Amino acid sequence: MRIEERLYTLRYKRDEVPHLVIKDQQKCKECHERYGNPCINVCPANVYSFVNDKLVVSYENCVECGACKIVCPFNNILWKYPRYGLGIALRYG
Amino acid sequence: MKFDVVVIGAGPSGGIAALNSAKKGYKTLLLERGPEPGAKNVSGAMIRESSISQFIDTGSLPYERTVKRVKLIFKSKKGNSVEIKVSPKGDRLYTISRLKFDKWLAQKAEESGALLITKTTVLGIEGNKVITERGGVEAEYIIISEGANALLSISQGLRRELKPEETVLGVKEVYSLNKDEVNKRFNLEGDDGEAWRIISDSPLPCAGFVYTYKDSIAIGVGIPLSELKDIKPYEFMDSYKADLSEIIKGFSLREYSAKIIPENGFPSFKACNDRVYVTGDALGLVDPLTFDGIGPAITSGYLASENLGQCEKYESSLLHAKEISKVIKSRPLTKELLKEENLSFYVNLIVDFFNYWSEGDLSKLSYYKSYLVKLLKHITLGLGVIG
Repeated sequence: MRIEERLYTLRYKRDEVPHLVIKDQQKCKECHERYGNPCINVCPANVYSFVNDKLVVSYENCVECGACKIVCPFNNILWKYPRYGLGIALRYG
Repeated sequence: MKFDVVVIGAGPSGGIAALNSAKKGYKTLLLERGPEPGAKNVSGAMIRESSISQFIDTGSLPYERTVKRVKLIFKSKKGNSVEIKVSPKGDRLYTISRLKFDKWLAQKAEESGALLITKTTVLGIEGNKVITERGGVEAEYIIISEGANALLSISQGLRRELKPEETVLGVKEVYSLNKDEVNKRFNLEGDDGEAWRIISDSPLPCAGFVYTYKDSIAIGVGIPLSELKDIKPYEFMDSYKADLSEIIKGFSLREYSAKIIPENGFPSFKACNDRVYVTGDALGLVDPLTFDGIGPAITSGYLASENLGQCEKYESSLLHAKEISKVIKSRPLTKELLKEENLSFYVNLIVDFFNYWSEGDLSKLSYYKSYLVKLLKHITLGLGVIG
């Protein structure tokens, strides 16, 4: 099953201000070469991708699990929760 | 504005902490970042009635089904598997959905006099001030029930971030069709339910579950974060549920979710200081093999509210509580078992045992004799859990 089909089941309200921010893109580049960006591998919602030497963060897909900040070898993700009840809203949980 | 107690997070531990604080006469505020309690929370979920009923009347508990059968399944890479059926005796087991359960608990807290404010994220704690995007509130005591991503507990210096090797990623899918079809597939009647616990070494070591809800089926799997190198979590889920395709055939996916499950926590992490008291998942109080976190969470929330202003007493009461000491004692064993070689070893041992038994030739098991030392080590660790 494609990840898009899975994410399609979810209700999101987008916070205009990203709740996931990369502190230093240079470190993501170094991480790409040395560790293959573990955040990309562990993310259950395909939030991260490495495009044109940059780590792209599709924070609006985030399911707020927190795995990425734990595996980041450089502690390079500023990981916060969306504000005002925004972000994901589960029905079953 | 000033409160006696501000509880951060309206999950099971925060809900009970707010309920009990209000009951004790504290002016209590319960803050929730989601649009409603439970909207941000992921679990299996199966609960034991006694783990809740000692703190709150469960008469109106919004459960999905009463679990009458628990099936334990061991699966090996070779394709063989062993199933053991257990009927829970004494204590009642319920499957629940978190949105309904957490909302119910928060409502009980409100009925006891606590003020619930949703859609409000706590950004930080400075002294006696709880800072949110809507402004700050003062609190005599602060109970942090923020869940596994313990941003505030870490910022307060009570604990550190989890390491990948002590974290499991849980991925869950809920499939729905209708009640009759769920009953038919699991051979159930009325509101009776079934729960499966699965231990497998394929494609990688993992522990999973299948729970029956009213009109739907929840499937979940926990994967150690350090194993997620060449496979994505949802690809792992696809491979894990390939064997489960019969039970969800024709059902449609209603929800996909994920959460981290801590394998370390209190007492390695501090539970409190004079003003701040941490509860539930933020203390790592969840068993990554059985996924039981709600029982320990509720116990910790209650104990925090009972011991405000007495940090040492709170920590010692946590250590003495049965629900909590069980999690703490099972951690070394779980950690050992979830190592790839160990999990494969046991899954194969169990599956081979039954396989050879059915063939009538147990002498083939002599191969396992060389692993006697490992077995003894794990039995010793296991005794710590039982004793």
